[in-house]
Amino acid sequence: MDTSVFRLDGVTKRYGDLVALDNASLEAGANEYISFLGPSGSGKTTLLRVIAGFEAPEAGRVFFNGRDITNLPAHERGIGFVFQNFALFPHLTVIQNVGFGLTHGKSGLSAAEIERRSLEMIELVGLSGMEGRGVDQISGGQRQRVALARTLTMHPKLVLLDEPLGALDANLRSRMRTELRAIRERLGVTFVHVTGSENEALAMGDRVVVLDRGRIIQTGTPGEVYDSPASPDVAHFLNRFNLFDGNLSGGRFNGVFGSVPVPRSVRSDRDVYAVRYDRMRALPVSADAAGPAIKARFVASEYLGSSMMNFFEAEDGHVIEMEHHLSLGTPQTFEARQDYLLTWNPEQAIVFGREASR
Amino acid sequence: MSSQISIQKRQSKTTRWLLAPGIIWMSLFLVVPILMIVYVSFWTQTTFNISPDPTLASWKQFFSSDTYTGSLWTTVRIWLIVLACTFVVGYPTALFVGLFVKSKTLSTVLLVICVIPFWTSFLIRVLAWRPMLGKEGAINIVLLKLGIIQQPIEVLLFTELSVIIGMTQIYCVFMVGPIAFMLSRIDRNIIEAARDLGAGFGRIFWKIIFPLSLPGVVVGAIFVSVMVLGEFATSGALSGRKVNLLGNIIVTQVGSLKWAMASVVGVILTVVMGIVIAGFLRIVDLKREL
Repeated sequence: MDTSVFRLDGVTKRYGDLVALDNASLEAGANEYISFLGPSGSGKTTLLRVIAGFEAPEAGRVFFNGRDITNLPAHERGIGFVFQNFALFPHLTVIQNVGFGLTHGKSGLSAAEIERRSLEMIELVGLSGMEGRGVDQISGGQRQRVALARTLTMHPKLVLLDEPLGALDANLRSRMRTELRAIRERLGVTFVHVTGSENEALAMGDRVVVLDRGRIIQTGTPGEVYDSPASPDVAHFLNRFNLFDGNLSGGRFNGVFGSVPVPRSVRSDRDVYAVRYDRMRALPVSADAAGPAIKARFVASEYLGSSMMNFFEAEDGHVIEMEHHLSLGTPQTFEARQDYLLTWNPEQAIVFGREASR
Repeated sequence: MSSQISIQKRQSKTTRWLLAPGIIWMSLFLVVPILMIVYVSFWTQTTFNISPDPTLASWKQFFSSDTYTGSLWTTVRIWLIVLACTFVVGYPTALFVGLFVKSKTLSTVLLVICVIPFWTSFLIRVLAWRPMLGKEGAINIVLLKLGIIQQPIEVLLFTELSVIIGMTQIYCVFMVGPIAFMLSRIDRNIIEAARDLGAGFGRIFWKIIFPLSLPGVVVGAIFVSVMVLGEFATSGALSGRKVNLLGNIIVTQVGSLKWAMASVVGVILTVVMGIVIAGFLRIVDLKREL
């Protein structure tokens, strides 16, 4: 039996010469939270719109509940879509917005039943008592909830959210993250969440799908993606790695930091050496580093509450970031415009290369 | 504290200077003339003279004459018909220009095309309907040549119909513009959202698109109403003097130096317009929409 809720099979979409989606294949299970991560222009929103039925793919098929829905119009798919700017009906009240699909679609329910279901959904998203308000009289976070409730009243099996937290301020964003997950777990439906923020993708997804230039470049749990990015691009989007160019040959990586033995590496079309920000250590410039080392000038530091980010500039202008978790003790202090020797344990580096050992 | 007061003082001074030109202009050329018209409507009119002795004679004459009250009802009737026609012709046009045309450039081009007739003078636009609608005009010739009619249609020109056709064409663009503007401001996503929620085109139009375009309809209706109610040229040129609007009465009365009667009609016309505009503004709260 096919347990997947939806499946994409080689979906390709072009806008003129621009390839928005290039042969994307993906499978999503029931009751899952999936996040699509990618920079703007990576095709993540296009992919979402193809699943929703707002765009038709040039090639490939879309399956939903085991049925080929590629040629089915959006409203017959039973897939909910939450728009980036919420797209609420500005002239209607909260409850009229939430009940819109039931009232004006093909539900055939009585007015009383529609009201009951709308109120139930308004309560679920925590907006009880606001049902009579106009949608321009409520805050951004509340609008987000109305948009979600409006989609959820239709009892979709799959809900697509297009950068749902993008329009909210930082404080609300982290609260809505927890809220979204909780709502999803209560309903037991699959959520697909598109985001450009690596934090959001890692925090919310049971599974993270990384996109770049129209291709799906990695799929995995947040842990898998974070600990072993499949390519230099994934490592770059995660925004947690210092990336060094160089070349990998004969089991050694030659870069600006010297030549380092590489015990294992990941196959890639270019040679890149990646070290996580929190794996970096700084030594006085005169110290004798045992492993790889690079001389860099301290530029600035940034206090992030739970950690401290230090920014260094290498001689070639490359910015190197070093994160110190404050739970590990007081951070080192650095003199501005002074040179330091940055080093790390080569065991902890991730190396990508054409000559890969796995 | 004191510096705040002085800033407030300076701001109120600036406000006064900015308001002054508008207030002076409006008082001199709007408020004073209206008061003057109201005043003159009570003056005593003799055949060749007018004196400021107060009398209700002109008012009594207006309401006791079938010609005058008749022209009031003709004005209201023509106004309602033209308003309905401009809406029926204008709304679909606006819907196309403002909503269905996806490219902003193309919709601007289309709006400019709507305005092109305004490059010629008003009178030419009105008079151009004569060779179109006349007994030997373009429409009759084409229909005769095509064999659709055997006899030329005579009701086309110098009737109420020709006035309605002419006015609808001339004022339609004032309906299209505001509606197209409101429609173009509708977020396309909310239409997609409504469709995704299962609403058909009819429901989307009546529940989403039309209510959101209503402020545009009201503004367009106010434009058209104000212009049609004050009309005299189109009815003069296309009705063969068969259709007399309040505007035509004013023109004839002024022409024969009957200032008091002209003022009575002017006051009545102003009151009618005031009621119409106030009525339209009750439909939507324009302050909230714009």
